[in-house]
Amino acid sequence: MNKLIILSLLLAVAGLAYAAEKDAVHSIAIPVVRTELKAGEGMDTTGKYCSICHSLDYITMQPEFPKATWTVEVNKMIKVMGAPIPEKDAQTIIDYLAAQYGTGNKP
Amino acid sequence: MISRNLSRRNFLRAAGAVTALTAVGGFPADLFAYKRRMAKFPEKTDLILLTSRPPQLETPLSYFREMITPNEALFVRWHISGVPTSIDLSEWRLKVGGNTEKELELSMADLKKFEKVTFTAVIQCSGNGRSLFAPPVAGGEWGDGAMGNVTWTGARLRDILNSAGLKAGTVDVSFNGLDKPPLPTVPDLVKSLPADKAMEEDLIVAYEMNGKPLTMLNGFPARLIVPGWYATYWVKSLSDITVLSKPFEGFWVKTAYRIPETDCGCIPPGTTPKKTVPINRMTTRSLIIDPSGSSGLTLNKPVAIMGVAFSGGRGVQDVLVSVDGGKRWEETRLGADKGKYSWRQFFYEWRPTKPGRYDLMARATDTIGESQPFEGLWNPAGYLWNKVEKTEVVVK
Repeated sequence: MNKLIILSLLLAVAGLAYAAEKDAVHSIAIPVVRTELKAGEGMDTTGKYCSICHSLDYITMQPEFPKATWTVEVNKMIKVMGAPIPEKDAQTIIDYLAAQYGTGNKP
Repeated sequence: MISRNLSRRNFLRAAGAVTALTAVGGFPADLFAYKRRMAKFPEKTDLILLTSRPPQLETPLSYFREMITPNEALFVRWHISGVPTSIDLSEWRLKVGGNTEKELELSMADLKKFEKVTFTAVIQCSGNGRSLFAPPVAGGEWGDGAMGNVTWTGARLRDILNSAGLKAGTVDVSFNGLDKPPLPTVPDLVKSLPADKAMEEDLIVAYEMNGKPLTMLNGFPARLIVPGWYATYWVKSLSDITVLSKPFEGFWVKTAYRIPETDCGCIPPGTTPKKTVPINRMTTRSLIIDPSGSSGLTLNKPVAIMGVAFSGGRGVQDVLVSVDGGKRWEETRLGADKGKYSWRQFFYEWRPTKPGRYDLMARATDTIGESQPFEGLWNPAGYLWNKVEKTEVVVK
Protein backbone atom coordinates (compact mmCIF):
# COMPACT_ATOMS: atom_id res chain seq x y z
CA MET A 1 0.00 0.00 0.00
CA ASN A 2 2.73 2.43 1.03
CA LYS A 3 4.63 1.60 -2.11
CA LEU A 4 1.56 2.43 -4.17
CA ILE A 5 1.18 5.86 -2.50
CA ILE A 6 4.85 6.68 -3.02
CA LEU A 7 4.62 5.61 -6.61
CA SER A 8 1.51 7.77 -7.11
CA LEU A 9 3.23 10.75 -5.53
CA LEU A 10 6.28 10.29 -7.70
CA LEU A 11 4.13 10.12 -10.78
CA ALA A 12 2.22 13.25 -9.76
CA VAL A 13 5.46 15.21 -9.17
CA ALA A 14 6.83 14.03 -12.49
CA GLY A 15 3.58 15.04 -14.16
CA LEU A 16 3.71 18.54 -12.68
CA ALA A 17 7.33 18.99 -13.73
CA TYR A 18 6.45 17.84 -17.22
CA ALA A 19 3.51 20.25 -17.40
CA ALA A 20 5.67 23.18 -16.25
CA GLU A 21 8.27 22.40 -18.86
CA LYS A 22 5.62 21.95 -21.52
CA ASP A 23 4.10 25.36 -20.67
CA ALA A 24 7.38 27.11 -21.52
CA VAL A 25 7.60 25.45 -24.92
CA HIS A 26 5.39 26.73 -27.68
CA SER A 27 5.24 24.46 -30.72
CA ILE A 28 3.30 24.20 -33.93
CA ALA A 29 3.35 21.73 -36.80
CA ILE A 30 3.21 23.39 -40.20
CA PRO A 31 1.07 21.40 -42.63
CA VAL A 32 2.61 20.04 -45.78
CA VAL A 33 0.62 21.17 -48.79
CA ARG A 34 1.35 19.40 -52.05
CA THR A 35 1.46 21.36 -55.28
CA GLU A 36 1.60 19.52 -58.58
CA LEU A 37 3.50 21.08 -61.44
CA LYS A 38 2.03 20.87 -64.93
CA ALA A 39 3.32 17.88 -66.88
CA GLY A 40 5.94 18.79 -69.47
CA GLU A 41 9.58 18.44 -70.40
CA GLY A 42 11.73 19.57 -67.49
CA MET A 43 9.06 19.13 -64.82
CA ASP A 44 11.16 16.76 -62.70
CA THR A 45 14.29 18.91 -62.89
CA THR A 46 12.25 22.00 -61.99
CA GLY A 47 10.52 20.28 -59.10
CA LYS A 48 13.75 18.79 -57.77
CA TYR A 49 15.80 22.00 -57.65
CA CYS A 50 13.14 24.58 -56.82
CA SER A 51 11.74 22.57 -53.93
CA ILE A 52 15.11 22.48 -52.16
CA CYS A 53 14.35 25.97 -50.84
CA HIS A 54 10.62 26.55 -51.33
CA SER A 55 7.29 24.92 -52.08
CA LEU A 56 6.26 24.73 -55.72
CA ASP A 57 3.27 27.02 -55.24
CA TYR A 58 5.88 29.81 -55.55
CA ILE A 59 5.83 28.89 -59.24
CA THR A 60 2.14 28.23 -59.71
CA MET A 61 1.05 31.55 -58.13
CA GLN A 62 2.98 33.65 -60.66
CA PRO A 63 1.24 35.37 -63.55
CA GLU A 64 2.22 34.24 -67.05
CA PHE A 65 5.62 35.73 -67.79
CA PRO A 66 7.57 36.00 -71.03
CA LYS A 67 10.65 33.77 -71.22
CA ALA A 68 12.90 36.78 -70.55
CA THR A 69 11.27 37.25 -67.13
CA TRP A 70 11.55 33.55 -66.23
CA THR A 71 15.23 33.73 -67.23
CA VAL A 72 15.76 36.69 -64.90
CA GLU A 73 13.92 34.91 -62.08
CA VAL A 74 15.84 31.63 -62.37
CA ASN A 75 19.16 33.48 -62.59
CA LYS A 76 18.15 35.54 -59.55
CA MET A 77 17.54 32.31 -57.61
CA ILE A 78 21.03 31.07 -58.51
CA LYS A 79 23.14 34.23 -58.29
CA VAL A 80 21.30 36.17 -55.60
CA MET A 81 19.41 33.60 -53.54
CA GLY A 82 22.14 30.96 -53.61
CA ALA A 83 20.32 28.07 -55.33
CA PRO A 84 22.77 25.28 -56.29
CA ILE A 85 21.56 24.72 -59.87
CA PRO A 86 24.06 23.66 -62.58
CA GLU A 87 23.93 25.70 -65.78
CA LYS A 88 22.42 23.01 -68.02
CA ASP A 89 19.68 22.29 -65.50
CA ALA A 90 18.99 26.02 -65.17
CA GLN A 91 18.27 26.15 -68.90
CA THR A 92 15.93 23.15 -68.61
CA ILE A 93 14.07 24.92 -65.79
CA ILE A 94 13.79 28.19 -67.73
CA ASP A 95 12.45 26.36 -70.81
CA TYR A 96 9.95 24.43 -68.70
CA LEU A 97 8.68 27.52 -66.85
CA ALA A 98 8.37 29.54 -70.04
CA ALA A 99 6.47 26.71 -71.74
CA GLN A 100 4.14 25.76 -68.87
CA TYR A 101 3.80 28.95 -66.82
CA GLY A 102 4.60 31.62 -69.34
CA THR A 103 3.87 33.12 -72.65
CA GLY A 104 6.29 30.67 -74.32
CA ASN A 105 8.86 32.40 -76.50
CA LYS A 106 6.65 35.42 -77.10
CA PRO A 107 8.25 38.63 -75.80
CA MET B 1 -5.09 44.88 -68.29
CA ILE B 2 -7.84 46.60 -66.35
CA SER B 3 -10.21 43.68 -66.86
CA ARG B 4 -7.51 41.36 -65.56
CA ASN B 5 -7.15 43.47 -62.45
CA LEU B 6 -10.85 43.62 -61.78
CA SER B 7 -11.27 39.93 -62.35
CA ARG B 8 -8.57 39.08 -59.88
CA ARG B 9 -9.85 41.56 -57.38
CA ASN B 10 -13.40 40.33 -57.62
CA PHE B 11 -12.14 36.85 -57.17
CA LEU B 12 -10.32 37.76 -54.00
CA ARG B 13 -13.41 39.38 -52.60
CA ALA B 14 -15.19 36.10 -53.08
CA ALA B 15 -12.22 34.11 -51.83
CA GLY B 16 -13.10 30.52 -51.30
CA ALA B 17 -16.31 30.71 -53.30
CA VAL B 18 -15.60 28.36 -56.13
CA THR B 19 -18.85 29.37 -57.80
CA ALA B 20 -17.38 32.82 -58.35
CA LEU B 21 -14.80 31.31 -60.67
CA THR B 22 -17.26 30.77 -63.44
CA ALA B 23 -18.04 34.49 -63.40
CA VAL B 24 -14.39 35.43 -63.90
CA GLY B 25 -13.77 36.12 -67.54
CA GLY B 26 -10.54 35.94 -69.47
CA PHE B 27 -8.72 33.29 -67.41
CA PRO B 28 -9.40 29.60 -67.19
CA ALA B 29 -11.25 28.91 -63.96
CA ASP B 30 -8.98 26.03 -63.01
CA LEU B 31 -5.97 28.35 -63.09
CA PHE B 32 -7.52 30.53 -60.41
CA ALA B 33 -8.72 27.56 -58.45
CA TYR B 34 -5.15 26.37 -58.40
CA LYS B 35 -3.71 29.76 -57.57
CA ARG B 36 -6.07 30.66 -54.74
CA ARG B 37 -6.49 27.76 -52.39
CA MET B 38 -7.60 28.18 -48.82
CA ALA B 39 -5.59 26.60 -46.02
CA LYS B 40 -5.70 26.35 -42.25
CA PHE B 41 -2.34 26.70 -40.53
CA PRO B 42 -1.70 26.39 -36.77
CA GLU B 43 -3.25 29.20 -34.66
CA LYS B 44 -4.76 30.65 -37.85
CA THR B 45 -8.20 30.41 -39.40
CA ASP B 46 -8.78 29.51 -43.07
CA LEU B 47 -6.68 31.94 -45.07
CA ILE B 48 -5.80 32.30 -48.74
CA LEU B 49 -2.77 30.12 -49.38
CA LEU B 50 -0.09 31.74 -51.48
CA THR B 51 2.74 29.41 -50.50
CA SER B 52 3.20 26.76 -47.85
CA ARG B 53 7.01 26.61 -47.44
CA PRO B 54 7.79 29.15 -46.21
CA PRO B 55 4.20 30.04 -45.32
CA GLN B 56 2.55 32.99 -47.02
CA LEU B 57 -1.13 33.35 -46.12
CA GLU B 58 -3.47 36.16 -47.09
CA THR B 59 -6.46 37.54 -45.16
CA PRO B 60 -9.85 37.37 -46.90
CA LEU B 61 -11.19 40.93 -47.19
CA SER B 62 -14.34 40.17 -45.19
CA TYR B 63 -12.22 40.35 -42.00
CA PHE B 64 -11.59 44.03 -42.70
CA ARG B 65 -15.18 44.82 -41.76
CA GLU B 66 -13.79 44.81 -38.22
CA MET B 67 -11.73 47.66 -36.81
CA ILE B 68 -9.23 45.18 -35.35
CA THR B 69 -8.03 42.19 -37.34
CA PRO B 70 -8.32 39.00 -35.26
CA ASN B 71 -5.02 37.23 -34.53
CA GLU B 72 -6.13 34.07 -36.30
CA ALA B 73 -7.00 36.04 -39.45
CA LEU B 74 -3.86 38.21 -39.73
CA PHE B 75 -1.77 37.53 -42.86
CA VAL B 76 1.45 35.54 -42.65
CA ARG B 77 4.62 36.15 -44.61
CA TRP B 78 7.97 34.41 -44.12
CA HIS B 79 10.95 34.69 -46.48
CA ILE B 80 13.12 31.64 -45.91
CA SER B 81 11.97 28.12 -45.23
CA GLY B 82 13.63 27.54 -41.85
CA VAL B 83 10.66 28.97 -39.98
CA PRO B 84 10.68 28.58 -36.17
CA THR B 85 8.08 26.03 -35.08
CA SER B 86 9.08 25.37 -31.48
CA ILE B 87 10.36 27.92 -28.99
CA ASP B 88 11.20 27.27 -25.36
CA LEU B 89 10.51 30.53 -23.55
CA SER B 90 12.71 29.46 -20.65
CA GLU B 91 15.65 29.46 -23.06
CA TRP B 92 14.70 32.21 -25.50
CA ARG B 93 16.76 35.39 -25.09
CA LEU B 94 16.84 38.67 -27.00
CA LYS B 95 20.52 39.53 -27.38
CA VAL B 96 21.53 43.16 -27.73
CA GLY B 97 25.11 44.04 -28.55
CA GLY B 98 27.59 45.41 -31.05
CA ASN B 99 28.55 49.06 -30.66
CA THR B 100 27.10 49.25 -27.13
CA GLU B 101 28.38 49.93 -23.63
CA LYS B 102 27.23 46.49 -22.51
CA GLU B 103 25.72 43.34 -23.93
CA LEU B 104 22.20 42.32 -22.93
CA GLU B 105 20.53 38.95 -22.92
CA LEU B 106 16.89 39.66 -22.18
CA SER B 107 14.45 36.95 -21.16
CA MET B 108 10.73 37.49 -21.70
CA ALA B 109 10.48 38.47 -18.02
CA ASP B 110 13.27 41.04 -18.54
CA LEU B 111 11.51 42.41 -21.63
CA LYS B 112 8.31 42.82 -19.65
CA LYS B 113 10.15 44.92 -17.02
CA PHE B 114 10.51 47.78 -19.49
CA GLU B 115 7.64 50.30 -19.59
CA LYS B 116 4.71 48.64 -21.31
CA VAL B 117 3.50 50.46 -24.43
CA THR B 118 0.28 49.71 -26.32
CA PHE B 119 -1.01 51.16 -29.59
CA THR B 120 -2.93 50.13 -32.68
CA ALA B 121 -1.03 50.07 -35.96
CA VAL B 122 -1.58 48.81 -39.48
CA ILE B 123 0.80 46.04 -40.45
CA GLN B 124 1.17 45.78 -44.22
CA CYS B 125 3.47 43.77 -46.46
CA SER B 126 5.52 45.85 -48.92
CA GLY B 127 4.05 43.74 -51.72
CA ASN B 128 0.39 44.07 -50.74
CA GLY B 129 -1.57 44.45 -54.01
CA ARG B 130 1.30 43.13 -56.13
CA SER B 131 -1.07 40.96 -58.21
CA LEU B 132 -2.74 44.18 -59.42
CA PHE B 133 0.43 45.51 -61.10
CA ALA B 134 0.39 46.01 -64.85
CA PRO B 135 2.58 44.81 -66.42
CA PRO B 136 2.72 42.02 -63.81
CA VAL B 137 5.79 41.58 -61.63
CA ALA B 138 7.25 38.45 -60.02
CA GLY B 139 6.96 37.85 -56.29
CA GLY B 140 4.33 36.96 -53.73
CA GLU B 141 1.17 37.55 -55.74
CA TRP B 142 -0.87 39.21 -52.99
CA GLY B 143 -4.31 40.65 -53.51
CA ASP B 144 -5.27 43.36 -50.99
CA GLY B 145 -5.20 41.08 -47.95
CA ALA B 146 -1.54 41.30 -46.90
CA MET B 147 -2.47 43.81 -44.22
CA GLY B 148 -4.31 44.12 -40.95
CA ASN B 149 -4.97 46.48 -38.03
CA VAL B 150 -3.66 45.14 -34.74
CA THR B 151 -3.20 46.44 -31.20
CA TRP B 152 0.41 45.78 -30.26
CA THR B 153 1.95 45.72 -26.78
CA GLY B 154 5.63 45.67 -25.98
CA ALA B 155 8.74 47.48 -24.82
CA ARG B 156 10.13 50.56 -26.54
CA LEU B 157 13.11 49.70 -28.71
CA ARG B 158 14.65 52.99 -27.56
CA ASP B 159 14.45 51.92 -23.90
CA ILE B 160 16.13 48.62 -24.74
CA LEU B 161 18.88 50.34 -26.75
CA ASN B 162 19.41 52.92 -24.00
CA SER B 163 19.68 50.12 -21.49
CA ALA B 164 22.54 48.67 -23.55
CA GLY B 165 23.95 52.17 -24.13
CA LEU B 166 24.77 53.24 -27.70
CA LYS B 167 28.42 54.13 -28.21
CA ALA B 168 29.53 57.10 -30.29
CA GLY B 169 29.71 56.46 -34.02
CA THR B 170 26.52 54.38 -34.19
CA VAL B 171 25.06 54.41 -37.71
CA ASP B 172 22.61 51.53 -38.12
CA VAL B 173 20.87 48.93 -35.97
CA SER B 174 20.26 45.46 -37.40
CA PHE B 175 17.61 42.92 -36.43
CA ASN B 176 17.74 39.15 -36.81
CA GLY B 177 15.07 36.57 -36.06
CA LEU B 178 15.04 32.83 -35.44
CA ASP B 179 14.19 31.91 -39.05
CA LYS B 180 17.02 30.14 -40.85
CA PRO B 181 17.90 29.80 -44.53
CA PRO B 182 17.50 26.34 -46.09
CA LEU B 183 21.11 26.36 -47.35
CA PRO B 184 24.20 28.24 -46.15
CA THR B 185 24.31 29.99 -49.55
CA VAL B 186 20.85 31.54 -49.03
CA PRO B 187 20.99 34.97 -47.32
CA ASP B 188 19.55 34.94 -43.79
CA LEU B 189 16.76 37.46 -43.21
CA VAL B 190 18.42 40.32 -41.34
CA LYS B 191 17.02 43.85 -41.57
CA SER B 192 18.37 47.19 -40.44
CA LEU B 193 17.19 50.68 -39.63
CA PRO B 194 19.15 53.91 -39.48
CA ALA B 195 20.02 54.57 -35.81
CA ASP B 196 17.91 57.75 -35.63
CA LYS B 197 14.87 55.79 -36.87
CA ALA B 198 15.55 53.01 -34.37
CA MET B 199 15.63 55.58 -31.55
CA GLU B 200 12.25 57.13 -32.41
CA GLU B 201 9.70 56.91 -29.62
CA ASP B 202 7.09 54.68 -31.26
CA LEU B 203 9.11 51.63 -32.25
CA ILE B 204 8.50 48.69 -29.93
CA VAL B 205 9.51 45.09 -29.46
CA ALA B 206 6.02 43.60 -29.21
CA TYR B 207 5.20 40.49 -27.21
CA GLU B 208 1.43 40.78 -27.48
CA MET B 209 -0.99 41.20 -30.36
CA ASN B 210 -4.56 42.14 -29.43
CA GLY B 211 -3.77 41.35 -25.79
CA LYS B 212 -2.54 37.80 -26.42
CA PRO B 213 0.94 36.34 -27.04
CA LEU B 214 1.95 36.54 -30.70
CA THR B 215 0.94 33.55 -32.78
CA MET B 216 3.97 31.52 -33.85
CA LEU B 217 3.46 32.40 -37.50
CA ASN B 218 3.19 36.12 -36.68
CA GLY B 219 6.51 36.15 -34.84
CA PHE B 220 6.25 34.49 -31.42
CA PRO B 221 7.59 35.35 -28.90
CA ALA B 222 8.48 38.94 -29.87
CA ARG B 223 8.73 41.01 -33.04
CA LEU B 224 9.79 44.49 -33.98
CA ILE B 225 7.02 47.01 -34.68
CA VAL B 226 7.92 49.98 -36.88
CA PRO B 227 4.55 51.74 -37.14
CA GLY B 228 3.95 53.64 -40.37
CA TRP B 229 6.65 51.65 -42.21
CA TYR B 230 6.17 48.51 -44.24
CA ALA B 231 6.26 45.20 -42.39
CA THR B 232 9.54 44.09 -43.98
CA TYR B 233 11.19 45.82 -41.00
CA TRP B 234 8.92 44.20 -38.42
CA VAL B 235 11.33 41.28 -37.87
CA LYS B 236 9.57 38.25 -36.40
CA SER B 237 10.75 35.86 -33.65
CA LEU B 238 13.39 38.44 -32.83
CA SER B 239 16.65 37.05 -31.42
CA ASP B 240 19.41 39.59 -32.06
CA ILE B 241 19.67 43.37 -32.11
CA THR B 242 23.08 44.54 -33.26
CA VAL B 243 24.22 48.14 -33.07
CA LEU B 244 26.54 49.01 -35.95
CA SER B 245 29.22 51.66 -36.39
CA LYS B 246 29.23 51.03 -40.17
CA PRO B 247 26.31 51.01 -42.63
CA PHE B 248 24.54 47.64 -42.75
CA GLU B 249 25.49 45.70 -45.88
CA GLY B 250 23.12 42.70 -45.67
CA PHE B 251 21.25 41.39 -48.71
CA TRP B 252 17.72 42.14 -47.47
CA VAL B 253 18.44 45.87 -47.19
CA LYS B 254 21.25 46.50 -49.67
CA THR B 255 19.78 44.46 -52.55
CA ALA B 256 16.20 43.48 -51.71
CA TYR B 257 13.25 45.60 -50.59
CA ARG B 258 14.32 48.69 -52.48
CA ILE B 259 12.26 51.24 -54.37
CA PRO B 260 13.25 53.66 -57.16
CA GLU B 261 14.74 56.88 -55.82
CA THR B 262 12.02 59.07 -57.33
CA ASP B 263 9.35 61.23 -55.66
CA CYS B 264 6.66 58.58 -56.19
CA GLY B 265 8.94 55.54 -55.78
CA CYS B 266 7.76 54.70 -59.27
CA ILE B 267 9.18 54.56 -62.79
CA PRO B 268 7.66 54.03 -66.26
CA PRO B 269 6.23 50.48 -66.42
CA GLY B 270 8.70 47.87 -67.59
CA THR B 271 11.80 50.04 -67.09
CA THR B 272 14.74 49.72 -64.68
CA PRO B 273 15.41 52.31 -61.96
CA LYS B 274 18.65 54.31 -62.12
CA LYS B 275 18.98 54.59 -58.35
CA THR B 276 17.16 52.89 -55.51
CA VAL B 277 16.66 53.41 -51.77
CA PRO B 278 15.41 51.03 -49.06
CA ILE B 279 11.60 50.92 -48.89
CA ASN B 280 10.31 52.80 -45.86
CA ARG B 281 7.06 54.67 -45.07
CA MET B 282 3.75 53.24 -46.30
CA THR B 283 1.80 55.11 -48.94
CA THR B 284 -1.72 56.40 -48.21
CA ARG B 285 -4.32 53.80 -49.06
CA SER B 286 -8.03 53.03 -48.89
CA LEU B 287 -10.12 50.03 -49.73
CA ILE B 288 -13.87 49.54 -50.08
CA ILE B 289 -14.86 46.38 -48.22
CA ASP B 290 -18.66 46.61 -48.55
CA PRO B 291 -20.33 46.17 -50.90
CA SER B 292 -18.02 43.59 -52.41
CA GLY B 293 -17.81 43.36 -56.17
CA SER B 294 -19.89 40.23 -56.11
CA SER B 295 -22.92 41.75 -54.33
CA GLY B 296 -26.09 42.36 -56.30
CA LEU B 297 -27.78 45.58 -55.16
CA THR B 298 -31.48 46.47 -55.12
CA LEU B 299 -32.96 49.63 -56.63
CA ASN B 300 -33.98 52.35 -54.13
CA LYS B 301 -32.61 50.36 -51.21
CA PRO B 302 -29.87 52.02 -49.15
CA VAL B 303 -26.39 50.58 -49.63
CA ALA B 304 -23.95 50.89 -46.73
CA ILE B 305 -20.58 51.57 -48.34
CA MET B 306 -17.83 50.78 -45.85
CA GLY B 307 -14.08 50.49 -46.01
CA VAL B 308 -10.76 51.18 -44.35
CA ALA B 309 -8.13 53.85 -44.93
CA PHE B 310 -4.66 54.45 -43.53
CA SER B 311 -1.42 56.26 -44.20
CA GLY B 312 2.26 55.94 -43.45
CA GLY B 313 1.77 56.95 -39.83
CA ARG B 314 0.28 60.40 -40.40
CA GLY B 315 -3.36 59.58 -39.74
CA VAL B 316 -6.23 60.03 -42.19
CA GLN B 317 -7.65 63.49 -42.94
CA ASP B 318 -10.60 62.38 -45.06
CA VAL B 319 -11.92 59.71 -47.37
CA LEU B 320 -14.03 60.58 -50.41
CA VAL B 321 -16.28 58.12 -52.20
CA SER B 322 -17.55 58.10 -55.77
CA VAL B 323 -20.35 55.88 -57.04
CA ASP B 324 -20.03 56.92 -60.69
CA GLY B 325 -16.48 55.94 -61.54
CA GLY B 326 -14.89 59.14 -60.28
CA LYS B 327 -17.02 61.92 -61.77
CA ARG B 328 -18.52 63.12 -58.49
CA TRP B 329 -17.06 62.66 -55.03
CA GLU B 330 -18.82 62.68 -51.66
CA GLU B 331 -17.44 63.02 -48.16
CA THR B 332 -17.69 59.98 -45.92
CA ARG B 333 -18.17 59.64 -42.19
CA LEU B 334 -15.02 58.45 -40.47
CA GLY B 335 -15.18 55.89 -37.64
CA ALA B 336 -13.32 55.89 -34.34
CA ASP B 337 -9.85 57.43 -34.28
CA LYS B 338 -7.43 54.93 -32.71
CA GLY B 339 -4.34 57.01 -33.40
CA LYS B 340 -2.24 57.95 -36.39
CA TYR B 341 -0.91 54.44 -37.03
CA SER B 342 -4.31 52.72 -37.01
CA TRP B 343 -6.66 52.54 -39.93
CA ARG B 344 -9.91 54.50 -39.93
CA GLN B 345 -13.15 53.00 -41.08
CA PHE B 346 -15.21 55.11 -43.47
CA PHE B 347 -18.96 54.95 -44.06
CA TYR B 348 -21.25 56.34 -46.74
CA GLU B 349 -24.91 55.58 -47.33
CA TRP B 350 -25.88 55.45 -50.98
CA ARG B 351 -29.37 54.98 -52.42
CA PRO B 352 -29.17 53.94 -56.08
CA THR B 353 -32.17 55.29 -57.98
CA LYS B 354 -31.39 53.89 -61.43
CA PRO B 355 -30.62 50.32 -62.42
CA GLY B 356 -27.31 49.55 -64.06
CA ARG B 357 -23.63 49.03 -63.48
CA TYR B 358 -21.77 51.31 -61.08
CA ASP B 359 -18.08 51.78 -60.33
CA LEU B 360 -17.53 52.53 -56.63
CA MET B 361 -14.27 54.23 -55.69
CA ALA B 362 -12.67 55.54 -52.49
CA ARG B 363 -9.80 57.96 -52.09
CA ALA B 364 -8.07 58.76 -48.81
CA THR B 365 -5.89 61.76 -47.95
CA ASP B 366 -3.54 61.83 -44.98
CA THR B 367 -2.97 64.78 -42.64
CA ILE B 368 -0.24 66.32 -44.82
CA GLY B 369 -2.25 66.03 -48.03
CA GLU B 370 -0.73 62.83 -49.41
CA SER B 371 -3.37 60.94 -51.34
CA GLN B 372 -3.82 58.10 -53.84
CA PRO B 373 -3.17 57.99 -57.60
CA PHE B 374 -5.84 57.11 -60.16
CA GLU B 375 -3.33 55.15 -62.20
CA GLY B 376 -1.26 52.38 -60.63
CA LEU B 377 2.27 53.60 -59.92
CA TRP B 378 4.75 50.99 -61.15
CA ASN B 379 8.07 49.72 -59.80
CA PRO B 380 9.84 46.48 -60.66
CA ALA B 381 9.41 44.76 -57.28
CA GLY B 382 5.68 45.49 -56.96
CA TYR B 383 5.76 47.68 -53.83
CA LEU B 384 3.81 50.72 -52.54
CA TRP B 385 0.54 49.80 -54.29
CA ASN B 386 -2.13 52.40 -53.49
CA LYS B 387 -4.10 53.01 -56.67
CA VAL B 388 -7.71 54.19 -56.29
CA GLU B 389 -9.39 50.92 -57.20
CA LYS B 390 -12.84 50.35 -58.66
CA THR B 391 -15.47 48.05 -57.20
CA GLU B 392 -17.95 47.14 -59.90
CA VAL B 393 -21.52 46.56 -58.66
CA VAL B 394 -24.82 45.96 -60.44
CA VAL B 395 -28.10 47.52 -59.31
CA LYS B 396 -31.33 45.76 -60.32
